[in-house]
Amino acid sequence: MMTFLKSKNAILLFFLIALIVIFAALSGGGTLRPSNIINILQSITIVSLLTIGAGTLMIAGEIDLSLGGIGTMSSFVAALLLKQGVPWFAALVAAVAVGAFIGLINGFLVNELGFQSFIATLATASITTGAGYIFTSGLAVTIEDPTFRFIGNKLLFGYIPFSVLIAIIALIVYAMLLNKTKFGRSVYLVGGNRVAARLGGLKPKKVLYGLFINAGALAALAGTLLASKLLVANTVGITSSQFAGLTAAILGGISFGGGTGGMGGAIIGIMVLSCFNNGMTMVNIPPYWQTVASGALLLAAITLDFVTTSRRNKSEVKA
Amino acid sequence: MKNRLEFSNITKAFPGIVALSEVSFCADSGHITALLGENGAGKSTLLKILSGDIKADSGEVLLDGEAQNFKVPSDALRGGISVIYQERQMVASLSVMENIFAGELPHNKFGVINYKKLRKEAQELIDLFELPLDARMTVGRLSVAQQQMVEIMRAYRRNSDVIAFDEPTASLADTEITILFRLIKELARQGKIVIYVSHRMAEIFQITDKIIVLKDGKKVADFQTGETDEPTLVKAMVGREIGDTFNKLSRCTERGDTVLEVKNLTTKKVTDISLTLRSGEIVGLAGLVGAGRTELARAIFGADKVESGEIVIEGRSTRYKNPSGALACGVALCPEDRKEEGLVLSRSIRQNITVSVLSRIRKFIFLDNAKEKKLSDIAVEKYDIKTPSTGKLVGELSGGNQQKVILGRATNELMATKVLILDEPTKGIDVGSKAEIYQIICDFAKSGMGVIVISSELPEVLNISDTIYVMANGKITGVLSREEASEEHVLELAMAGQ
Repeated sequence: MMTFLKSKNAILLFFLIALIVIFAALSGGGTLRPSNIINILQSITIVSLLTIGAGTLMIAGEIDLSLGGIGTMSSFVAALLLKQGVPWFAALVAAVAVGAFIGLINGFLVNELGFQSFIATLATASITTGAGYIFTSGLAVTIEDPTFRFIGNKLLFGYIPFSVLIAIIALIVYAMLLNKTKFGRSVYLVGGNRVAARLGGLKPKKVLYGLFINAGALAALAGTLLASKLLVANTVGITSSQFAGLTAAILGGISFGGGTGGMGGAIIGIMVLSCFNNGMTMVNIPPYWQTVASGALLLAAITLDFVTTSRRNKSEVKA
Repeated sequence: MKNRLEFSNITKAFPGIVALSEVSFCADSGHITALLGENGAGKSTLLKILSGDIKADSGEVLLDGEAQNFKVPSDALRGGISVIYQERQMVASLSVMENIFAGELPHNKFGVINYKKLRKEAQELIDLFELPLDARMTVGRLSVAQQQMVEIMRAYRRNSDVIAFDEPTASLADTEITILFRLIKELARQGKIVIYVSHRMAEIFQITDKIIVLKDGKKVADFQTGETDEPTLVKAMVGREIGDTFNKLSRCTERGDTVLEVKNLTTKKVTDISLTLRSGEIVGLAGLVGAGRTELARAIFGADKVESGEIVIEGRSTRYKNPSGALACGVALCPEDRKEEGLVLSRSIRQNITVSVLSRIRKFIFLDNAKEKKLSDIAVEKYDIKTPSTGKLVGELSGGNQQKVILGRATNELMATKVLILDEPTKGIDVGSKAEIYQIICDFAKSGMGVIVISSELPEVLNISDTIYVMANGKITGVLSREEASEEHVLELAMAGQ
């Protein structure tokens, strides 16, 4: 219990609760109204999927900046296929497959050609976003398929967004994957020391392929979900969420160094970010200032990460 | 211009090891003074003290009788001391002239560099030493030898009174060595104090005036080069007493079947290696640093690409392409560099011990925590790893305990290891833990494994191994039994072809 109280997650959880209380007070209880909670839950869905993809890669010591681009391109693929009368399920599978394929390319660039993931995915980000524009000549594509409408907007029991179920299931599955399976363990070991992991008999390249493909597929799913919520696939929606995904992962204690952090922290990170953004809207902070505040929040998170890591390093030196 | 460099009673201890003990000697201007000794004799530590990289516990470095107090390397540079290490210390993306004048580029009052003047002065220096270089060449594109020349010119340009070389010929071809020696002699002729560290006999006789022999951190002899010969020097270098440590070992006396046979193995780094290892046997690989021992281990372990040759394990020819395949065949490696290659420091003891057996501690698709804990508890108990819990991060353990975690990983009961390769298993480990690790290695042999031990400490490899393979330049230059092997003999083979 004491170790939990001293952990980064405990600090974050405390911060989350403080955030909820402060915004509730400032908005006169407005943030706690059911309609607003539904809003928060819906915003969580998209960010969660991106955070899982980006976060697992960060644990393995890599980064993926192409998730926004993949999401955009895949949502266009789904929307255009639906327009052609392709059944909803096939359209969804095709979109996810496209995302997975781009992930495979990212993995290839990093594993086989030795590019740094930052650079490789910066390039694919630009290519996928551009491809999205080309498919549609930059115009939004509306979605009329009833199943997509259901997935994106249906409230179960009148309160719970259907899409949030997808996010919750995904978070649980990936938390188990990371903590309980050989693959998850390999992600941490590869992120902690790639050379040692290889000499220990693991296959770092295989792990990275898996993670890049996974992140691509999840980004495609996120893009398609966003389109089904908005009932339109456009070129702007998912890109800002990509940075929200990275921010949430960092807030949740997944560091760029690799090897540390987990889904538990990431979930709190997602909640902090969503409550923070929603709260600012509810207390009428102007949108431009919200952007500034998001940046400040990220800086605060990195500072926290830096302080706790350097404290840990100091205690290592003493030992 | 300084005339005399003096080391006076230099002592330096690291945790568990006395690296230098009361070392005193002088080096004079216009002379080349050799520092000779085996790996670990204290040569590098002495150079690091000279260059201000580390501080001696006691004793002084004096220039013309004046005690120097270097706190950081830049103090030593300013004091007129340049050390030229094996690794080049230059900016690869800049030109020869920029590197020679680094830190003191000619510039005007606005800070704009006068390239015309820079080029002229650099070229004058190049001409002075008659070197085949152009001042505008990019350093990164030069050969190792040429880079070294640039570094020497930089030391000369700084007006250093003392120029020390750490194994300067380690990666040079013969023709390059000729040019290097001409350069070094020229420095001495101009009145510099030159220190020359090496363990290559031939070149020491070729260019030095005086030889200081270090052994186990102590100065054991000094000679005028003209008044000594090679056998005398070798004897001075290695003639040490072997402690009781090895006599007390409980060794494995039974030999089983051949577990590993390497036939004509060739990679980029080693050539035509053949070797046999039987169950219960400890084979030692001896040789100088860079002889290709680690590379041979990596090749047998599937970590480096094999170009030709065959690896036979328990009579079956195998072809694996990565460490994962080698582990599946029962070959395990404990790498030399524990922190960089052996362990994941940010994870727990438990997670490090099970790295190679994750597939075998699963229930359905999930890792079985109880099984994992049990496996690591056994290792902690068996090897007496000192830790409050197996959940402790490996990065927080001492060197000896970290080594035991790696041994625990390579030999836990789920591994079925038949061939165990240990690369420098006692490097950086205190004397007490060393003895423990020797016994653990003998116990591995007793349990039926074939063990390969790589060590740069001659007494260690000679006394722990049943058979010793000596390597030089990526080839095996001799095979000796423990009874036949003497330090002199092994050293001779290790220096073969140099």
